[in-house]
Amino acid sequence: MSKTINFTIDGVSVEGARGETILQVARKNDIYIPTMCYISKTTPCASCRMCVVEAQGLDGFVLSCNTPPTEGLEITTNSTELERERTNIMKLYDVNHPLECGVCDKSGECDLQNKTLEFNVGQQNFAAKDIPRKIENWGLINYDPALCILCEKCVHVCNEVIGDDAIDVKFGGYSSTIIPKNNDKLDCTYCGECIAVCPVGALISSDFQYTANAWELSRVPATCAHCSAGCSLEYEVKGVGISRDASIYRVKNNFEYTNLCGAGRFGFDFDNKAEKNPADFHKAVEAISSAKAIRFSSMITNEEAYMLGELKSKFGLKLFNEDARLYAEFMKAYSSVSGKKHHSGSQDAIRQADAVIVIGGRIATDNPGVRYALTTASRHNGAKIVYAHPIEDALMKNTITQFLKYEAASEEGVMALLANAILKDADLSDEERAFFNDLDLGYLCAESNIGEEEIALMMQSFTRAKNRVLVVGSDMMAHSRAKNIAKLCAMIEKYSEFSLVVVPSQVNTLGVSLINELDIDEELADNVVGYNASGNFVISSLEFANLAIPSLNQQEGTFVNIDNKVLPTNVALAFDGYTLLDIVQACGVKRENTIDCTKVLDTKAGFKAVAFDDLENFLSAHGDDNRGYILDEVACEMNGTLDSIDDLAEFNGPVIYHSNPVLQFNAYTNTTSQLERDTSLRGSAQFASIAKISDGEKIEISFGSRTIVREFKLDEELKGTIALNPTFDIAVDSSRYRFEKSKIMRVTNE
Amino acid sequence: MAKVYFSTWNGELINNAGKPEEEWEESAYNLPATYDDHRDSKAFIGWDGVSLFNEDVDVIRLAMEYAAQYQVYSEACGRCAPGRWGGQILYDQLDKIARGEGAVADLDHLKEIGKSMQITSKCEIGKTVPNPILDLMTHFEDVFMDCIENQKPSKHYNQDASYIAKITAPCTDACPAHVDIPGYIEGVRDLRFDDSLEATRQTMPLAHTCGRVCPHPCEDACRRTNLDEPISIMALKRLGADWETDHDYNFFHPLEKKPANGKKVAIVGAGPAGLTAAYYLAADGVEVDCYEELSVLGGEVTVGVPEYRMPWDKYQKDIECVGDMGVNFIMNHKVSADDMRRFEKEYDATMIASGTRLSKKVRCDNERPEIQGYWGAIDFLDWVNLYEKFDIKTPKATQEQQMLPGDFVDLTGKTVACVGGGFTSMDVVRCSIRAGAKRVIMIYRRDEKTIIRNTTYEEYHEAVEEGVEFIFHSAVNTMIDEDNVLKALDVDKFELVPDPDGGRPQLVKIEGATERIEVDYLIPAVSQSADFSHLPEEWELEMTSWASLKTNGKDYMTSRKGVFAAGDCEYGPMTIVNAVGQAKRGASVMSRYVHTGEVTLTDDEIMEDHLTKLKVYDKKEKITGWLPGLARQQSEIVDVDIRKFNNVEVNMGFTQEEALAEADRCMRCYYIAMVQA
Repeated sequence: MSKTINFTIDGVSVEGARGETILQVARKNDIYIPTMCYISKTTPCASCRMCVVEAQGLDGFVLSCNTPPTEGLEITTNSTELERERTNIMKLYDVNHPLECGVCDKSGECDLQNKTLEFNVGQQNFAAKDIPRKIENWGLINYDPALCILCEKCVHVCNEVIGDDAIDVKFGGYSSTIIPKNNDKLDCTYCGECIAVCPVGALISSDFQYTANAWELSRVPATCAHCSAGCSLEYEVKGVGISRDASIYRVKNNFEYTNLCGAGRFGFDFDNKAEKNPADFHKAVEAISSAKAIRFSSMITNEEAYMLGELKSKFGLKLFNEDARLYAEFMKAYSSVSGKKHHSGSQDAIRQADAVIVIGGRIATDNPGVRYALTTASRHNGAKIVYAHPIEDALMKNTITQFLKYEAASEEGVMALLANAILKDADLSDEERAFFNDLDLGYLCAESNIGEEEIALMMQSFTRAKNRVLVVGSDMMAHSRAKNIAKLCAMIEKYSEFSLVVVPSQVNTLGVSLINELDIDEELADNVVGYNASGNFVISSLEFANLAIPSLNQQEGTFVNIDNKVLPTNVALAFDGYTLLDIVQACGVKRENTIDCTKVLDTKAGFKAVAFDDLENFLSAHGDDNRGYILDEVACEMNGTLDSIDDLAEFNGPVIYHSNPVLQFNAYTNTTSQLERDTSLRGSAQFASIAKISDGEKIEISFGSRTIVREFKLDEELKGTIALNPTFDIAVDSSRYRFEKSKIMRVTNE
Repeated sequence: MAKVYFSTWNGELINNAGKPEEEWEESAYNLPATYDDHRDSKAFIGWDGVSLFNEDVDVIRLAMEYAAQYQVYSEACGRCAPGRWGGQILYDQLDKIARGEGAVADLDHLKEIGKSMQITSKCEIGKTVPNPILDLMTHFEDVFMDCIENQKPSKHYNQDASYIAKITAPCTDACPAHVDIPGYIEGVRDLRFDDSLEATRQTMPLAHTCGRVCPHPCEDACRRTNLDEPISIMALKRLGADWETDHDYNFFHPLEKKPANGKKVAIVGAGPAGLTAAYYLAADGVEVDCYEELSVLGGEVTVGVPEYRMPWDKYQKDIECVGDMGVNFIMNHKVSADDMRRFEKEYDATMIASGTRLSKKVRCDNERPEIQGYWGAIDFLDWVNLYEKFDIKTPKATQEQQMLPGDFVDLTGKTVACVGGGFTSMDVVRCSIRAGAKRVIMIYRRDEKTIIRNTTYEEYHEAVEEGVEFIFHSAVNTMIDEDNVLKALDVDKFELVPDPDGGRPQLVKIEGATERIEVDYLIPAVSQSADFSHLPEEWELEMTSWASLKTNGKDYMTSRKGVFAAGDCEYGPMTIVNAVGQAKRGASVMSRYVHTGEVTLTDDEIMEDHLTKLKVYDKKEKITGWLPGLARQQSEIVDVDIRKFNNVEVNMGFTQEEALAEADRCMRCYYIAMVQA
């Protein structure tokens, strides 16, 4: 079945793998076939018809984008006839296309412009009566149907890769147009991928429109700094080298192969501005010299983390970062069973999967990269995707095939049930088998609210699956039974075909967890320096800092993303203030450049001794991701054993779940200008009724030792007694389990 | 044959210009020269040419209106560059000439654009729309030139005229339910499974079912066959339905339910025909009461088709989808003649969709129902399926009559002979295997080739694999019993003797070859007939010669006004898709009848019938523009050693990879036909 197909293209012998099309094989062999509608990451749109080729012995042309080759086929990609037809298609595309290239945002990087020139369409014989077409404003996105060539790329990516399925082609011959699907206005997550793939200026960022010419912008390749997906992007900057007021005008991605979410695309102006103030700087150095601890966030580069580690050694202070510490603890427990340091899965593994379990997180908003990988697996592989969580997510509905709704806090029990089913026939040691034999399945099912028949259905749906992935979200890391959960995950990975992805909660949680020896945050009353975090003296790239430092789009360095990949990022905008390097130097650490840290990152953690400037940072023409490197696997001692499952806790009354709305992740996305900021607590009608509140009311929410005030928003898409509490506008201690028992009071402020 | 003034249909060239009408050469094709009861056609134009039925037709406007159809009415278009722009240019240029403003260069542009469309368009509409237009431009060049040179409008440019268009495809035409097959395959190809399902449900509410157990007559009319092998059309239908079920969506209805219009209909029977009629009538705002004799819905697909072929949880979804449109199901209600009389008073119309649930006799000697071990296929399958699907136990009387050891159909150690050759008999023998029978024999009068033609290749081979013995060219002569307990069968052998006069070969009994076979059961599955005990005798409903309800096969009204019939009770035992198609049309007629008391067809339905008569699929057509040799995908089936012992669905369906590869083979053979009436 998997045999290759040998054929020729323009006389060159080529080989096609099963499932490949003629166009794909041609491109792999660097043979050019023109297209206007083809995009590698989706099924062929097949609308432009430019990619027709000739096949020896056949009358008529064959469409290369959706035709697989046959053995011995002889393909010709160019001839007078093909040229004529392709030219005619370009002439057709140009009929009534508005001649507004002078102001069109796409000008200079427009496929229509390029191909019109390529085919030398200097005049137009054909004419058709044009029809009025109304420009639409869809919030962050503008659509001009007069410019649209109906290639359908936008519709394909929205459905097949992103999963919003928010736009549709309205059929009707010459009046065909793109419309919001089943809706008057666009209802989507505003990833803006439709803008990215639009070959003309029809879909455009409303913020960017008419602000710059494509050729005035400098491109800075970087890694997105909002979540752990580590998406590649380019900051497009105007004014570099000329003006000190340089700013990022927009963000673009290599849409042929990669995706970006809306926060990555539209949330780029989180850069920090500061001048050097020596007095503040001295205070900072003093604060660190006398500090008992530095508390920091995972929104930093590996190099910053490394230098903080240097400060730790220098002054013997403690390093607090609960987010990374919990991740490290989780992975340590995992390693004690798996015998290796890193989880085996990746976003790519998810994209290839045909069976996935997602558990313990609200993945669509926690990590859109993973969501898009799941969407791809769902559409392209027909993947069976089981989503286990106490709260449904409407965004995942068209992706998941089974929802396992468990009770908050019962994660350990659920993992045991899953492992028990998955490892039913696995070759376990007697001890391990005894653990499963001793499970009180009845109790676990009853308390977690997962039925045995649900687990059986899941296993049945996986029967034909060949590529399986378990995705474990960050609910698990702060769980009181995190270690045992981690061991169960390791068991599944070790003894079944499942690969494992443990989702880091912040952009560089994983990197920090590998670089720093972290201490338990004792919440000391004084002498704590905050580094992008709270403290008695705050050094931060956010507002209200005692000393300002650059944001992540103003630094070079590396992150480690969810794929265990070390990814370089670059300076998009200059920063005129001080940096951690200045502080470290002032503290007496010998260090010349920040990026000198890159190659000294700990090889025992899997880092490679590669200098920053030697890191590759590009996607090949065929889509190979040549950014940075993947961490080396590291063997670990296997001394962990499974603990018996603890009694499952119960959560009663109104519960809140810390979870951000789409487009928001953290304090940085919160500072950007284009992203919507919905800070309301969103809950179901059932939640409203037990909390005795109603839509639009101002409420006071108490959890742990904190009290915050929010508006309550009734969300028709939610069910149950758990409401979603955003964290991007309030710092929530990462050591807290994401579900919280809470007290809710109506605020009456008359 | 049709009388034409001019025709280029399917490569013929008939030009009767200048000849007196009685000398006109006729077309070889069933062209729609008469549109309906009160209108003659003036012209017919379509993918394969153009025919004029009289001299007076304005050919320029005809071409222009045809191009307009492509632009205005075709939902399929606007999806490729040559079609979207080219189609508009065709229309604009033709309109320019027709209104008297054309130039000679326009003719060249038309030809150039037409050719590009023919070569590069995405679907056959784009490829074929230029065909008749270019024909008219060639054969009536003088007419075009006259308008251009004299800058005058075409002869009837400013007059009212009636143009009626219809989109079809060879597969759609061949499907009794006229499902938009290229549409649902496109949905799969584009990974828009909701669109795929809605395309199916426009005319076929039973998407799960007909994605599994349809004998797919469409595949016999698949144009891809002309190139290599037909598309696996049926199997691709499942994807949309599975998508809806897997993702736990509310039902995707392709049409919005209209507000209640105060009209009521009764439907007798909740099988495929009854369900289909109920769905579309309910969607139209008619209140529907659907009466079902059994305690379960779904008719023969529920109690006849076994679980391993049509899992109940999937069929249940189809039934729920119908229910979701707002249908009142009245179960456990065997409709009587009195009920029928009452229905006539209380409802605005009635549809009989009661199927054929009486097993016909084998016609052998000593064929007496009281012999234990003689068990009609319908009754046999009822009890097998009711137990397997609903845990309903076989009643005491049947247990005793059929010598069952317990309260379900357990054939352990028994020998079963079935006489048949169609789907029902296949279900009987394969269920018998699963019920533990020691030996299962199918006795069939004709040969292997015929049984495959009457069922499917897969069905036959899977049965053979499971251990069913097929005895061809045989028929039961006598049932041998001891004290009314079946012991054996005498089976005659036949041979095919060619007719010396060149007619059909005859089956001739081989004397002395009769064999005695010991059996415990004889299950006749030769055919079924309808039980019409619920029809009031005084209605004297007209019957066909094969004892089914007679209609004209177009509007499905019986000889009694307001009483309609669809499905097996009308046609005789036939396929699910046939029942669906009839019921869909019947429901459409009824939805108008309840308001007007008139029996009418829509233009779309009239055109549908014209095209079926004309035949859309041309198996001799040479296909260009597609690469041959791409194999039809085969879905995986459960291993015989596993499936023999249980009722798991045998056909696992396509993997996504297989489905996408298969969908990519579809050539989107949409066509537009148009009549000027």
